[in-house]
Amino acid sequence: MTRTVVHATGLTKRYGSFTAVDAVNFSLEENRIYGLLGRNGAGKTTIMQMLTGQLFPDAGELDVFGREPAEHADVLRRMCFIAESQRYPEDFTPAHVFKAAPWFFENWDAAFAEQLVADFRLPLKRRIKKLSRGQLSAVGVIVGLASRAPLTFFDEPYLGLDAVARHIFYDRLLEDYAEHPRTIVLSTHLIDEVANLLEHVILIDQGRILFDRDADELRGSATTVAGPRAAVESFVADRPVIGREGLGGLASATIDGRLDQADRIRAAEAGLELAPVSLQQLIIHLTGTDLRADSTEQEVAA
Amino acid sequence: MTAVIEQSIPRTEARSRAHEIWRIVRLHAVNPSIFFGVPWLILGSAWAIMMIIGLIITGAGGPVDDMAKGMRYSWAVLSPQWYLVVVGVQAIGLTFSFALGFGTTRRDFWIGTSMMFGLVSLLNAVAIATLVQIEKATNGWGVGIAMFDSLWYGQQGWLVDFYTTLALQLLVLFVGASVTTVYMRWRMRGMMIVMFSAIALLLVFVAYQTFSGGWMALFEWFGSIGVVGGFTIVLGFAVAFAVGGYLVIRRATPR
Repeated sequence: MTRTVVHATGLTKRYGSFTAVDAVNFSLEENRIYGLLGRNGAGKTTIMQMLTGQLFPDAGELDVFGREPAEHADVLRRMCFIAESQRYPEDFTPAHVFKAAPWFFENWDAAFAEQLVADFRLPLKRRIKKLSRGQLSAVGVIVGLASRAPLTFFDEPYLGLDAVARHIFYDRLLEDYAEHPRTIVLSTHLIDEVANLLEHVILIDQGRILFDRDADELRGSATTVAGPRAAVESFVADRPVIGREGLGGLASATIDGRLDQADRIRAAEAGLELAPVSLQQLIIHLTGTDLRADSTEQEVAA
Repeated sequence: MTAVIEQSIPRTEARSRAHEIWRIVRLHAVNPSIFFGVPWLILGSAWAIMMIIGLIITGAGGPVDDMAKGMRYSWAVLSPQWYLVVVGVQAIGLTFSFALGFGTTRRDFWIGTSMMFGLVSLLNAVAIATLVQIEKATNGWGVGIAMFDSLWYGQQGWLVDFYTTLALQLLVLFVGASVTTVYMRWRMRGMMIVMFSAIALLLVFVAYQTFSGGWMALFEWFGSIGVVGGFTIVLGFAVAFAVGGYLVIRRATPR
């Protein structure tokens, strides 16, 4: 049976009058790969900082491994979170980071870390301040993978990584996850890159959760309908439309929700083309501000 | 779905508090240039400069006795202290954020950091007090300079030199660290409030002393407690900053 490792109820973080995380509820189950997705400033990092006890929530309840995380050593030692904007001690090099890591992560695999350093071609003796963005991401990725913490966070792991490095991360994560299952949370705004890794997606925008669903359920949960404008309009008339585009007499509309066989036949008869929507497109439709105006229009029209 | 949190997962390995505190000391020492390398490089450079000045003066036939007397007022022996304030600041501003990412508690971080400060102060105190004795024994490194045997040093024996250096060193490190905890908890607004409050308190004290005519009594009191008494006050301030830092860091958040 699966165990719940994180349970948040009404979790809130405010900075003055700005609410970074607004009463969110969610749970994370053991040994799954989660995607914490959203645009820049959506509140992804703030949520992870609260889960790892780095920030104190202003309201709500938070249980991580059975208790509030902040200042509880037995909870904190099961987690690994290298923030995208992580600060390192003065004059630190990656070599210092990897030397200190086993003192903090009891499952640290030094051989694995060494292999990853070689894979990512990370210069061990260069000062962290002098590393490129991609090399800095690699430091976080290596710590996250080699620490094998029961709850591991990767904060924007792809930032600045080249195509080869992204592929290495993808492969190593899946290989190691298969051998050493653990709960992994990937936060990113580069959604297409990680879409295939994710088992569950939590989409957050402006401090609120837009959806919290299994990735399998999401793939194919939305469809784009394209064809002559009039035909498209009549087909989508009574459906939830989350995006529209048009060019001359042609139009396309993205609808949220699955189509059954009868719908597909009807669409084909009307001369419409149906196309699946990728996770990234779906998220753009759901969080894009310009499209929100469209959906209001739709509501008014309806 | 009912989201019930299971019994917490059993510990996979016995880990003691001592381990969790000691690893913070090791984290501070993993790059030894910060706490040891740079301060001693500064002190070593100051020593080299003093030696060269000494050689120039004696080479030119200057009066050796007057030179040593003049050098008593040199602050060269204190030259690493400014840098160590910065080390205290960075220990909280940078290493604290990093240690939180590695899953330490604020409590263990502050205790471990205090232990590191204690160790560094102890080592520096032993080294400086011993260097004072060596300088005296070698008659100013054979040149007649007075770098370590200066200010209040070299007058009341090894133990007093040790004690005063220890107190000063602890104060310097804890001032930097504890003031930074204020920034880490309340950011710039907190820093401003603390700074202006400190200035206001100081002004009130100055005004009180001036209007009550208490300055002479104060100086006499300082004279009566002597070097050891004065540095006991310094040590008291260091302890106060250490305790204050502990209270403030408990709710501090990383940048």
